[in-house]
Amino acid sequence: MTTPTPGLPEASVAPSPEAPRGPISLEHVSRWYGNVVAINDISLSLGAGVTGLLGPNGAGKSTLLHMMAGLLRPSAGRLLVLGAAPWRTPEIYRRVGLVPEREAVHSFLSGREFVAMNARLQGLPDPDEAAARTLGIVDLLDAADRPVGTYSKGMRQRVKVAAALVHDPPILLLDEPFNGMDPRQRLHMIGLLRRMAAQGRTILFSSHILEEVERLADSILVVYAGRLAASGNFREIRRLMTDRPHTFTVRSSDDRRLAARLVEDSAVFGIDLAAGRLSVSSSDFGAFTRLLPRIARDASISLYEMLPTDESLESVFAYLVRR
Amino acid sequence: MSAFSTIAEVTLRALLGRRRTILLLLLAGLPVIVGVLSRIGGGRLDAAPILDGMVVRLVLPLTALVFGTAALGSELDDGTAVYILLKPIPRWQVVVAKVAVAGLLSAGLVVGSCLLTGILAGGLGPNALGTTFGVALATGIAAFAYTALFLAASAVTGRALIFGLIYTLIWEGVLAGILEATKTISIREATLGLASALAPSGSEIPTGLNPSQAVLLLGIVLVGGVFVASVRLAGFEVRGTE
Repeated sequence: MTTPTPGLPEASVAPSPEAPRGPISLEHVSRWYGNVVAINDISLSLGAGVTGLLGPNGAGKSTLLHMMAGLLRPSAGRLLVLGAAPWRTPEIYRRVGLVPEREAVHSFLSGREFVAMNARLQGLPDPDEAAARTLGIVDLLDAADRPVGTYSKGMRQRVKVAAALVHDPPILLLDEPFNGMDPRQRLHMIGLLRRMAAQGRTILFSSHILEEVERLADSILVVYAGRLAASGNFREIRRLMTDRPHTFTVRSSDDRRLAARLVEDSAVFGIDLAAGRLSVSSSDFGAFTRLLPRIARDASISLYEMLPTDESLESVFAYLVRR
Repeated sequence: MSAFSTIAEVTLRALLGRRRTILLLLLAGLPVIVGVLSRIGGGRLDAAPILDGMVVRLVLPLTALVFGTAALGSELDDGTAVYILLKPIPRWQVVVAKVAVAGLLSAGLVVGSCLLTGILAGGLGPNALGTTFGVALATGIAAFAYTALFLAASAVTGRALIFGLIYTLIWEGVLAGILEATKTISIREATLGLASALAPSGSEIPTGLNPSQAVLLLGIVLVGGVFVASVRLAGFEVRGTE
């Protein structure tokens, strides 16, 4: 978190006239593979700042990022990055960097050589200087002269970020950048991406871990089963996610009496006592977690356990899509 | 041309991995060993059967197959190709750099094997040397055509190695003996045609295609391979996303 970002000047992200809605815009974009729909009619617009692309594995996050990076052609719809359709437009890569999810890099090169290779292919005037500067940004100078093949997962992830950053692009796309990183490296990466966003860059990163997105993103896109399930400010979406109907299983010293008391409260809309356990549905997560201990205490019932039954991210996403 | 030389350098270092280099040196050494053995055994002083049977039929296509499919195909397979493709470089430049490097490596190895084999098995007589140099030059040129063909195959399919083996063993090997017509589109026949035209008359190199046909075919395969690979890469899409 303490590494400064020398040499990263303010990035210019002024949208070109063709893309008045932001540096990245999608209009009714779909992508299918044969009969399988990977992305289903997504429209969105991204501006400067950090956006988190959240969704379970297989939701279509990589497909979406690959289309933005020009590595996949949209099957339908219009996708513009800085005013141009990225597929078959190599010129776009002067202003776009992608950190792919796949770990493989040219393992026989040293970190310095690998990043310098990317700088040369970008046609930078001083590729070695650019490589050294970028390796400093990702805190890899100490290991810069070792072959990338000997790097740990987290170091590989950082050398990939360095390769994507070496030409100082105004748009940075990262596919699961935190995979394989330890907590310290995560913090470092979060700090780095925040600083780069503060300089006016458009940064989009994918993740299937809610907490990562929460800590880094200004706004989020939730993708589930190829659809855009939700988008916008993180707090709003967090509220949507927590305010949905929740079901809990409760174990107590007297389930039947507890059930009778709970059903009187408006925050509870369903009670099930089947199979010897008490299952409660509530429309308001926060209210219910305050209500339950109070009612138990007033009725002198001991609570042994309270478990949310559908807290998997999967079910959260499914709910957002159905909404 | 900094991008071109960068791609060439990285490709060269990738292709010269230790296992692959040892394997191919062993392969290229086979005809040399056979040449030495034939001399020790007191056989006739003639390199042509070994040059034809082993260098042109075996070492040349297999070397080009290994280098040609690895130069681009292995990067596409393991995903490292994106670091080269996601750059503001026309994709044909990537293909030309890779064909140049893989072709030079194949040609170097095959020509070396050819010269050593020819001199050891055929001796230093003017006719024998003429034959050796003729075959060496022809295989050196043909190496680029084979490489371009196999590199294009690796840009089209993930199973370029199988395609290359089928082309070499079935099309050029088995079918050439059964269906005469297949010989007109056979890099091997073109190589032999060029070699026999370059060698002094009376050499025992099979005649293959006539020289102008041979040069035409090699040229078409080289340019066509670069073209097909460039078109495929220009419209590149990542394989197997999610």
